[in-house]
Amino acid sequence: MRSIYLTGVGGHGVLTLSGILAEAALTSGFDVRKSEIHGMSQRGGSVVSQVRYGNRVRSPVILAGTADVVISLELLEGLRALPQLKPDGVLLINEQRITPAPVGRERAPYPEGVRGICENAVDTVVIVPALEMARGLGNEKAANVVMAGAFSAFAPEIPIEAWVRTIEAAFRPEHRDLNLNAFRAGQCFVEAE
Amino acid sequence: MRKLLSGNEAIAQGAREAGVLFASAYPGTPSTEILETIARQGGIRVQWAPNEKVAYEVAAGVALGGGRALVSMKHVGVNVAADPLFSSSYSGVNGGLVLVSADDPGMHSSQNEQDNRHLARAAKIPVLEPSDSQEARDFTRLAFEISEQLDTPVMLRVTTRICHSMSPVVVEEDQEDPEPIRRYRRDMSKNVLLPAHARRRHTAVERRLLRLVQLGESARELNRVEWGDRRIGIVTSGVAYQYVREVAPDASVLKLGLTYPLPSELVREFAAGVEALYVVEELDPFLEGEIRSLGLSAVGKEVFPVTGELDPDRVAAGLGVARIRPSIAPPDPGLPLRPPVLCAGCGHRAAFYTLAKMGLVVTGDIGCYTLGTLPPLLAMDTCMCMGASVGMAQGMEIALREAKDERRVVAVIGDSTFVHSGITGLINLVYNGGTGTVLILDNGTTAMTGHQDHPGTGVTASGEKTHRLDFAALCRAIGVRRVREMDPYDLDRLESALNEELAADEPSVIICRAPCRLVERTPLGQPAEMEIDCPGCGACLELGCPAIDERDGRSVIDPTVCTGCGLCAQICPFCGLKVDSIRREPVPV
Repeated sequence: MRSIYLTGVGGHGVLTLSGILAEAALTSGFDVRKSEIHGMSQRGGSVVSQVRYGNRVRSPVILAGTADVVISLELLEGLRALPQLKPDGVLLINEQRITPAPVGRERAPYPEGVRGICENAVDTVVIVPALEMARGLGNEKAANVVMAGAFSAFAPEIPIEAWVRTIEAAFRPEHRDLNLNAFRAGQCFVEAE
Repeated sequence: MRKLLSGNEAIAQGAREAGVLFASAYPGTPSTEILETIARQGGIRVQWAPNEKVAYEVAAGVALGGGRALVSMKHVGVNVAADPLFSSSYSGVNGGLVLVSADDPGMHSSQNEQDNRHLARAAKIPVLEPSDSQEARDFTRLAFEISEQLDTPVMLRVTTRICHSMSPVVVEEDQEDPEPIRRYRRDMSKNVLLPAHARRRHTAVERRLLRLVQLGESARELNRVEWGDRRIGIVTSGVAYQYVREVAPDASVLKLGLTYPLPSELVREFAAGVEALYVVEELDPFLEGEIRSLGLSAVGKEVFPVTGELDPDRVAAGLGVARIRPSIAPPDPGLPLRPPVLCAGCGHRAAFYTLAKMGLVVTGDIGCYTLGTLPPLLAMDTCMCMGASVGMAQGMEIALREAKDERRVVAVIGDSTFVHSGITGLINLVYNGGTGTVLILDNGTTAMTGHQDHPGTGVTASGEKTHRLDFAALCRAIGVRRVREMDPYDLDRLESALNEELAADEPSVIICRAPCRLVERTPLGQPAEMEIDCPGCGACLELGCPAIDERDGRSVIDPTVCTGCGLCAQICPFCGLKVDSIRREPVPV
């Protein structure tokens, strides 16, 4: 069974990404659970979604420290999610920095050197310039699908056809090519690393 | 066909397969998507009700008239609907009547974590608790059958983890024909709850509970024993069942889907077959208490927490099967938090900035604007329940005046919340000689739950135009003579309006109109521009606006986030911020 913990900032496509991942796993014949908390988190707060798949899945929530992969669409949120990951897990982060909204004058500074902290803690860290890659393909919004592609390189149990079918079904015809290209770009990025 | 559905979508699917005629709801996390999905899939008449009581009453009327009706709400909504719920239990139904209570253990978006199984027990109606999306769909269908067979409303009790988790569901592709409408027959002895009638109905309700116990003993699709290692036997329900199965795959389990009334013989039989009996349930020791009242001993809340959500770790710890595993050290605890905030350009920010500046006592209410409590705005004194702001302001004023306390009180309530249950508070204010001021923050939608329509938007749940409730006319009809409608973005005008209304010796209402920025996406103006070398006084940071960041001791505007609302330009003491305003038409005062 695989447990994937996804995180990011409200409005940046975490839930779309976890939906694609869950559907691709279902299409591949796995039992799937996807869990998320929305509500207050929609107003610019941290957003977390969890996907688990395998032959038989019970709990929809992942125990802290047991996620096989953490995918973060933002640097600080990736750092925050570190304890969710098992020590030999894989950390995939979109290299994007979104400063939290100010909460008055006393605010903790945005952490520097996120890459280094993560690399010290986990063996496999891949920092993907997904925002830039998506921008290069024509639309920043596809950054989450770039991350799906990056994840696919660590998920051989989900065949490429399942990803393609899921992405084709998830987007309107005019956005399909963009998202398929974003997916491939993410996949190639990891393979080249 | 297997589909990945959330619990809420699965309930909607079950309702469709059950041939439901009518569904009603008031939005509330985590229940909202049930009615939204039903509306989207079509085929069922849908209504957003002004509040849960009305939602329940219309559904009860449909059921009495012979159609199947589903009514959904969050847990605290059932408090609002409790009056008709308790009485409809006595009357019974004709067509099936199912109440979905979406509880929120862990309070992800709620003010309490009440366990609504208690309410169902008090109302003497059965409770079904699904443990995943497949069961959410199956139990919805079963709930309608039980409702009609046993002449009772049925509570389908779900929790946030069920509502918002997705799992595969086998669905019936072909839409079934709607369940035929049962003929309505007048029966005053059942449906007119005069004391003489109600006394007989109470006896019928007690008989019904005994029949429900029998149903629970035999209905394997609801309650089942999974025999395994007999040293540990676990009685469980809802999502806790999944956690139990995750951490104790070999244990014997009595999985209850019909959790009230308790199938006592099945429980006794199970308890007799195991060495140690555990009860694993979220929130209150509901099953545990029922089981103990049978004279059985069980381990429960002494090892499992009564507060918050359960998870596999908490269940494993309670069962004594927890394993230590290697872990990654948490990062620096000083990481900046990322709490939810009012959006850039939100009109609520103008109101709360002004209220905080004026140092008013603010009785608040429930919605996005509750975020006005958080730093840096820190502008709210109370938030109790839907609609409470208006009544509480009047009460606070009575006490403060008696104490010769000079502080001024204002009630703040959103448009949807005002319709839900603020109107009666305003009637009381006028009727009982209050002089308070009510600020209605009208953003033209039920924003926090994801932008549902309500009577003040003039659009129905199915997207049709309808009469639009006129708040100002309503307030005048109630007897408030001082009613003004205004644009909150003009901070000086808002402040003087508040000063004038608070000074008036009679009730007053200020309606601040500012459409939700997530609905009205056209910018309010050009993004603000910093025209001076910002000295970094931090005044604009006190707005808590996500478009304003502080870098190297200076304020920086993010033009991609800024909506040009102009608040920062109004408060910059150095007049360094400029906004080229292309604001909408001024609202007549």
